[in-house]
Amino acid sequence: MAKAVGIDLGTTNSVVAVMEGGKPTVMINSEGSRLTPSVVGFTKTGERLVGQIAKRQAVLNPENTIYSAKRFIGRRYSEVQSEIKNVPYKVVPGPNDAVRFSIMGKEYSSEEVSALVLRKLADDAAKYLGEKVTETVITVPAYFNDAQRQATKDAGKIAGLNVLRIINEPTAAALAYGLEKKENEKILVFDLGGGTFDVSILDVGDGVFEVRSTAGDTHLGGDDFDKRVVDWLAEEFQRDQGIDLRKDRQALQRLTEAAEKAKIELSTALETTISLPFVTADASGPKHLEMKLTRAKFDQLTADLVERCIGPVKQALADAKVTEKDIDEVILVGGSTRTPAVQTLVRRLTGGKEPNQSVNPDEVVAVGAAIQAGVLAGEIKGVVLLDVTPLSLGLETLGGVMTKLIDRNTTIPARKSETFSTAADNQTAVDIHVLQGERELARDNRTLGNFRLEGISPAPRGIPQVEVSFDIDANGILTVTAKDKDTGKEQKVTITGSTQLSKDEIDRMVAEAQRNSEGDKRRREEVEVRNTADSTAYQVETQIRDLGDRVPSNEKARAEQSINSIRQLVKDNSSDVAKLRQLTSDLQQIAHAISSVAYNQATASGGRAAGTGASSPGGTGSGTTDDVVDAEFKETK
Amino acid sequence: MRAASAKRTTAGMKTAQDDEIKQLKEQVRQEHGLYLRALADFDNYRRRIEREQANAASSGKREIILALLEVLDGFELALQHAEDAPSSLSEGIKAVYRRLLTLLQQQKVEPIRSLGEAFDPRIHEAIDSSPSDRYQPGTVIEEIQRGYRRGDDLLRPARVRVAA
Repeated sequence: MAKAVGIDLGTTNSVVAVMEGGKPTVMINSEGSRLTPSVVGFTKTGERLVGQIAKRQAVLNPENTIYSAKRFIGRRYSEVQSEIKNVPYKVVPGPNDAVRFSIMGKEYSSEEVSALVLRKLADDAAKYLGEKVTETVITVPAYFNDAQRQATKDAGKIAGLNVLRIINEPTAAALAYGLEKKENEKILVFDLGGGTFDVSILDVGDGVFEVRSTAGDTHLGGDDFDKRVVDWLAEEFQRDQGIDLRKDRQALQRLTEAAEKAKIELSTALETTISLPFVTADASGPKHLEMKLTRAKFDQLTADLVERCIGPVKQALADAKVTEKDIDEVILVGGSTRTPAVQTLVRRLTGGKEPNQSVNPDEVVAVGAAIQAGVLAGEIKGVVLLDVTPLSLGLETLGGVMTKLIDRNTTIPARKSETFSTAADNQTAVDIHVLQGERELARDNRTLGNFRLEGISPAPRGIPQVEVSFDIDANGILTVTAKDKDTGKEQKVTITGSTQLSKDEIDRMVAEAQRNSEGDKRRREEVEVRNTADSTAYQVETQIRDLGDRVPSNEKARAEQSINSIRQLVKDNSSDVAKLRQLTSDLQQIAHAISSVAYNQATASGGRAAGTGASSPGGTGSGTTDDVVDAEFKETK
Repeated sequence: MRAASAKRTTAGMKTAQDDEIKQLKEQVRQEHGLYLRALADFDNYRRRIEREQANAASSGKREIILALLEVLDGFELALQHAEDAPSSLSEGIKAVYRRLLTLLQQQKVEPIRSLGEAFDPRIHEAIDSSPSDRYQPGTVIEEIQRGYRRGDDLLRPARVRVAA
């Protein structure tokens, strides 16, 4: 079946997205941009321009360039008198009080104009995907009536598209966050776009969304914020230089761009510099504009605009007969919700709740529409949506550290294995302690299961090879297998609850790991240093034994002294990292001296302990199987 | 009596089995469809990632070039004023300007012709229009900010004033 796309047909800009491999992707248009202006220009030569190109010729052709067609779609001519005053093109009454745009003597309906925008979006999507696009889901504001919805559907039909469904913009936003899975929750969607502001309150339960109330301001948006900055810059400049930049079209253009850029920068920075060299000139010479704008000043300039959002939010809550305490989820939609003051306001009005904003607010509606389209086209049927492991999975290794095999946020199904060894000579069993969590030490993580692999042939420590594999299937069921490569003996455990933690619990565990990361890292390092010291001691001891009397007695005494000190510190679980490191490196040098003396003495082709020094235990897995990792199991009796 | 009922049960089991087989077949068909779709998606995705990787270097450059073009604009505005009062300082600035221009040329950045050309919204952005004696209506009469392209890629359109 052909791909179905989701389209956010906006007042100012439109966006088109598609499901790919179970994930939504926003598609770029033929101009290389993710946003397409909802603008159509009819030229004198009979061409129809859509999007950015139409916008570029708007000032030359204002009567024949239609923007904000969405404000007219499906409405009666008698209803839109105030809108008509705001646009430079000619709006006339059609049959049955319908709205018509009069363009060079021809009349067009708003459906026809919107169809041209939809057609371009579908064409660009087809180019991006490399296949024809006809199946679509289109979004409309929640307050659209039947006539407006029908007209939007008709626009799709005129564009040659099969409109699978018309869905509400706030519902699409909620879908983008996967909120359809929630039971009996109340969602507030706060949508501050380029030129319109909408608040909606939704109920969700049994996978169905219901719009409880809507409120808004049809003429409030990001453009108003830009204009405040332009006015401030222009007024300051006029006071200093006596020239009103707004009267000069070229200067105004540069000012508007700089203002928007400054606004965007102030979403993350506390201060920005607006610099427009040679912005104008008078008899005394060229003039430059160079001004600092702080976020505090920006907030002050736009305070009343932010305040204007309060009324509609309160209205929507009252109409839905709920209070701020009843709201379970808050979603931010529209680029202007990136403004910190707007976010602060939303938090204040919703009882301090942290809003959902991880999906790009300019694209969240199209993303939700794409998800709905994917469901309707049968693509997401049977839930093939791939899950991820919410927390890392691993096992306990020598010294009580956690060695991770599968990192958090790995897409499942996934499989990973690593080879471990024993920690003591003649160890015949290893304990596998399966852990979940982000902390460095085993004891701080959650235990998922325990089992023991027995019957390992007696051998010096580090020689047996035990392959441990973690296999987590699409349903989150984890199977941990340990296999002795020598005897082929195998033992396994299956754990079902590894992905069934609540979101709160996962968040808590991740936050805890972040909070403790410094201390954890230090403790892990201590363990690793002790492990390295201990295995160096072991290796040198073996080396001395193997070389027998070829070892000079003074070197032997020095080595033994070092080994004893290390053994004592390890036994005491010493956290004197510096001392352990010093002793380890001294011992390695002694070992090196011993082996060179021994080899110089000639003959024997050497024992197995060639004094390579100890490698650090607990290495993080590289993902390839059969890597021998020097992390040893501790034998617990 | 007993035989008859036993027969019916077998028949009942048979239809139940048939139903199950049918159901399973249908399920397999659906699953296979999803599997093929996932494979296709992945294949397409891989191909596009390859293409995007090839573009990534170029688009990283694009961002820097766009920022440099603003600096170039500043030089041009400065030099326009310097022409009124030539000095050794303005000569020096001109040299720096030419250096920047060469650098951009080496990156295959080309200016877009606009003055005297017919207005084309694919490469021009109209800021204003005014009557003109010299030019036909629809012709670019002034370039307010130069536009640039790099190969087929429009870096930014030329900002122009057009004859009314």
